[in-house]
This record gives sequence, structure tokens and C-alpha cells, in this order.
Amino acid sequence: MRGVSDMTATSSEISQTESGPKANSIDRDDPATFPDWFRARKARSNLIVARWVPIVLVGLPVLVLFGIVVYPTIWMFYHSVHDTNMMRLFQGNWSYIGFENFATVLGSDRFWDSTVHLLQYLSFGACLQVVLGTVLALILFELVKNNALRTLILILLVLPMMMSPSIVGVLWKFLLTPSNGAVNQALLNLGLISKHIEWFNSGISLWSIIVADIWNWTALPLLIVYSGRVSLPPAVYEAAKVDGASGWQVMRRITLPMLKEVIAIAFILRFTDAFKFVDLVYIMTSGGPAQSSELPTYIAFQRGIREFAIGEAAAYAIIIFAISAVIITLFLKYLKRVLKAQGIA
Amino acid sequence: MAQVNLQNVNKIYRSGRTEVHAVQDLNLEINNGEFVALLGPSGCGKTSTLRMIVGLEEISSGDINFNGKRVNELEPQHRNVAMAFETYALYPNFTIEENLAFPLEVRGVPEDERRRKARDIAEILKLTSILDQRPGALSGGQQQRVSLGRALIRDPSVFILDEVMSHIDAHLKFQMLFDLKAIHRDLGKTMVYVTHDQVEALALADRVAVMSNAKLQQVGTRNELYNAPANVFVADFIGEPPTNFFQAEVSDNGGGLALKTKDGALVFHLTEHRAGKIRALGGRDFIVGIRPQNLRLKDSEGKSSAHTGSDVHDITASILINEYLGERSILTFANGDTKFRALVPPETRAAPGEAVTLGYRPEDVMVFDAQTEALID
Repeated sequence: MRGVSDMTATSSEISQTESGPKANSIDRDDPATFPDWFRARKARSNLIVARWVPIVLVGLPVLVLFGIVVYPTIWMFYHSVHDTNMMRLFQGNWSYIGFENFATVLGSDRFWDSTVHLLQYLSFGACLQVVLGTVLALILFELVKNNALRTLILILLVLPMMMSPSIVGVLWKFLLTPSNGAVNQALLNLGLISKHIEWFNSGISLWSIIVADIWNWTALPLLIVYSGRVSLPPAVYEAAKVDGASGWQVMRRITLPMLKEVIAIAFILRFTDAFKFVDLVYIMTSGGPAQSSELPTYIAFQRGIREFAIGEAAAYAIIIFAISAVIITLFLKYLKRVLKAQGIA
Repeated sequence: MAQVNLQNVNKIYRSGRTEVHAVQDLNLEINNGEFVALLGPSGCGKTSTLRMIVGLEEISSGDINFNGKRVNELEPQHRNVAMAFETYALYPNFTIEENLAFPLEVRGVPEDERRRKARDIAEILKLTSILDQRPGALSGGQQQRVSLGRALIRDPSVFILDEVMSHIDAHLKFQMLFDLKAIHRDLGKTMVYVTHDQVEALALADRVAVMSNAKLQQVGTRNELYNAPANVFVADFIGEPPTNFFQAEVSDNGGGLALKTKDGALVFHLTEHRAGKIRALGGRDFIVGIRPQNLRLKDSEGKSSAHTGSDVHDITASILINEYLGERSILTFANGDTKFRALVPPETRAAPGEAVTLGYRPEDVMVFDAQTEALID
């Protein structure tokens, strides 16, 4: 056995050494290989454009990226371990304080309350959006067979997403105004409630924001899942029909498993958005009343931009970054596993 | 088990203002336990027909009956048919074993029985080593066998097999034709097999239905299609190499009626029976067909090895091309402007340009009406 394997090793070596020079044996000076004009041009440069063009084309985006991503990130990490605030920043006399900022953040009830709010928002906002979007997309695809009607419904469902979040915030603030808002008015007229509900009271205000966000963003997972469903191969569904599977069996065993990666992508998109979700909070409640609807990102914004506690805000940002990195990495790992199982990646 | 009956079935595809009549007035009776092949060139409507039988395509007009019961409105789930798809249509998220067992799974068969059956079928189709893989990792031929296995694992009333050998290499195909024939013999189920390959159709099927241009041309056993093709298309499509055709006209030269090619180079003598029919039809134009294997080379003594004892006539021609194909050779001849082919044993020595004499029997001469292209028998 050993002899045989040795033999194959040597023979492969021989074939390598033989094929090596052969493959490169084009005579570049031979006029038959390359015409004169081509060699003249090759002698000047490998490029057909001036030498500075590629440097500028690649260099400019790199500069911009550095300016808006790399530099601020380094700046943030640097100031998270300093006692920087606006005054010290202008005076240039900030000093190193170790991890005191992190200790302040992690030691405050405000941070842990906002983390609970974030979890509420993730599970009832972002997750519900994906679940709702998936359900709506599949209902739309499976039950509405008329093409024109389908397009019309799709447009109607996507409209909220096309509105700017600030407008959505103002709109929902109006709708939920306790005294004369449309929602309370409608519920009263229907006899479902007997007196106004205070939508922006402590304990409810976060849920009001979540409802507005669901209205605003459910269309995104809907579009993603819908397009995923459209691109599934019809032949597989014919096969399932012939195999005798019922509609529910097809949905459970074939459609949903085949949409796993698409749904995972919808989750990733909504979760990344969740970590930078400030707009509706700012417009609808400003985190109130009494900080009862604050999210960590909103506090970072509040502390850094409005109260100029730059060091503490940087610590907030880094902690949020760490949490989001862990969650998104888990999703990406899952996505990779799903794709690998199908032999795609 | 079921007897399948198609009555005046039509399929018209509409998209905007264009209409495509894919299947036209098709009548076909498939008996219980019979193996029928639908044979025809691409785009002839055979797959549309099959999809209508399965229930994946709506029937534009006409009826399809299983055991005398109309199934037009039934969904595929309720027709109890099993189908193997040309495009495989495997479930990408399932392993091969799950793919094979899915028809059983949806019927609520317990898991251990599902596994046992999947392994049995994998054994026959040589898929045992890849049972844990997913379709994405498989070659076309392997996927095709899984698709076939998924159809065979069930106990349906009709098996529908759509081009199931198109991506399987020649060597394995030979084995699989044998296995499929054996499976059919063991199960005794009705099977409908769609193919464009006449070798598969003739090897497997009890009867072959030849389709062309949305119409059923002829249904018959191998011998019927071979010896009495209903029209020029069937005569041309069935048989390898294809039949030689000649435009011919009647030449009544005292000794009896014969057909002469238009350029006068070849004369074909007919049996008394056919001559009588042609005489009755009057002096019209005809198409003469003769299969390459029915033209036999004569040796120097004027004897034709295979045509002993019977009434053999001669034609002369010179050799144009000699194609050696291993177990046989195809000679192409020219006589004036007329070219035709003959099958000869491979050891035949024949140089291009050589003039030879060929023998044929009058009963092997097929005559078709030049207008309708129908056989005159």
C-alpha cells in the first residue's frame, strides 16, 4: 500500500513539473503571439487609463468611509474611557478615568429599565413585525390569486413604509391623543370603552410606540418574505400536490422551511433597525413619562447630544453595539447553517 | 389500479391574444395495468397531455376518466396518481430519504415503515449511499432517480413518468430500463411514460402512442408502429435510421403495377394486394417508404443473404458514404438525385463510388398518399 501511495505522489509531482513550464510557454516576444500595437501598449503600462485614475476611484470612497465610520468609531472608543463633556471637549482638558463611564451606565436603574424596554420592543415590535409580515405575505400569495388585486393590496400594505418616521410619529400622536384622538373616539363610538384611554401614560406609552412602529415597518418583512415566496420553484409545489400533501402540510413542511433563510434576513434587518430606533420615541413621547418609554439608544442620544455627557454616551453606544453584535452574530450563524444544509454556502 | 380514458381532450393555452392549441381532440384508452408510452418530438403536446391526466393542467374541453369516473375537476391530491418530474422537483430542504418518504409522510405512515420503504426503493435505484444528503449536492442523474423513487414508493392508481431517463447516462439507463420493466411486471400497475426517445418507448411500453403537432398520430404495439405506420410521420419517427422516402408515381408497365420515383431512377414493385388498392385509387401521386434494414446488399452471385425464398426485387445504386457504427454499418446510396440508406452488417466491405445491387421484398414497401400522408394498406 505504501509503495502505491509513494508512486502516485511522485507521478503527480512529475506531471506538475511537466505541466508547469508548458502552461507558461507562450513566447511573449514572438510577433505571432501578440501583435505589435498590443506589445507597444503593454510596454507603456498595464492600464488603459492614466495611473492616477484607479488611485482616486478607490481612494475617495476609502477617505469618505474613514471619515464617517472609522474615525468616529475610534473617537467613540477613546472618549468612552475619558470624562469628556462638552465643556472639557472645547477646552481640551479631558482625562482618563478607566471604565468609570461603563460602571455608571451598568450601575444605573435607567439603563436596566431601558434594556427591559428594548427587550419588549424586540419581542413585541421587531419580532411581531416579522411574524405579521410573514403571515400577511403568505396569505396574500396563497389566497389572492388575481394578479391586479394582489398588486393593489401589496401597494396598500407597503404605503406606511414609504412615509418618513417623523411624519408617522406625528400622525400616531394625533391618532392617540387621549381627549379627541381618532382611536379613542372610534373605540368610544363602538362602545368598546367607556372613558378615554390615556395612551401616553406610564406603562402604556411604550406600547403605543410599538404599535406605531408595527404599522410603520411590517411592510418590510412582508416584502422580503413575499419576494422569497414568489421565487420558490413552482415545480416543487406541483410535486407536493401530486404526492398528496394538504395545503397546511405544504405550508408547514415545505414553504416555511424553504423560507427559513429569507425570514432570518427579515429578522436581521428589523433587529439592526431596533438598535438605532430613536425617531418614534423622540417624537411621540421623548422617552416619557418619567423615562418609562426609553430605549438605550434614546438615552445615548439624550445624554450625548442634548446633555453633552459625551463619555457616558459613548459608553452607552459601545454597550448597545456589543448587545446587537451578539444577537446579529447568532442570526448570521443560523443563516449560514441553513444555507450550508442546502449546499448553497 | 385504474383504467385511464381520454375523450376528445383539448388543451388551449391563452396568453393575451395568442392562442396555442397544444393538444387537439385526443382520444386514448389506457387499460388496467398497461404500460403506455407517449412518444413524440419536443413541443408535440405529450407533456401537456400528461399534466392533464395528473391534474396539474386544466382541461380546455373533453373528459378524462379513471375507471369510468370523470376526474376533470379533481385536484391532483384526490386523483391518486404518482408522478416523476422531468425537472425532478425535489424538496430542497429535505434529505434524500425524506424526499423519498414524503408521499408516505403526508399519508400518516409511521416513521419506521417510511424508513424501511425508502431504503427498499433506494436499493433498487442505487441511492443508498446518498440517503442523508440533500438534493443540492446531487448530480442530475441522481436527482432524477430520487424523483422516480418518490413516485414509485407509493401505491397509486396510475404512475406518470415524465422523461425520467433524460439525464441518466447511457450505461445506467440500460439497467434502469430493465429495472423499471421489472417493477412494472411486479406491481402490475398502469403506467404512462412520456419520452422523446423511441428506444425507451419501444423497450418499455406495451403500447406506444405517437404524438406530433398536438395530435395523436397512432397508438399501437411495437410491431404495428414498425410494420404498419399510420402515416409518413410515424414511419419517419419510429425506427433508426429513419425510413427512406421517395416521391413516386404510378407506372403500369404491362407486367403489373409499380411505383416509379419522380426522376425515374428507381422502380418499386408492390404486393398484389396493395397494387389493387392503388389501382382503385387512380393515377395519383404517392410516397414510397422503405426501412433501411429491409434493403439488403446482394453479393456477386446476386443472392441476398436474408431474403431467401421469397419474391425479391432489385434496385441498383452507388455507395456515397459508409458509416461504421460498431455492431452495424449504415450505407448511404445515391441513384441520380435520389439518396437513401440501408443497414448492413459491420463486416461489409464497401468503398464509396462502388455500384451495388440491393434486394427488397414487395411486402416491405410502404405506400402513402402524397396528399394526406396516410398509409395505404
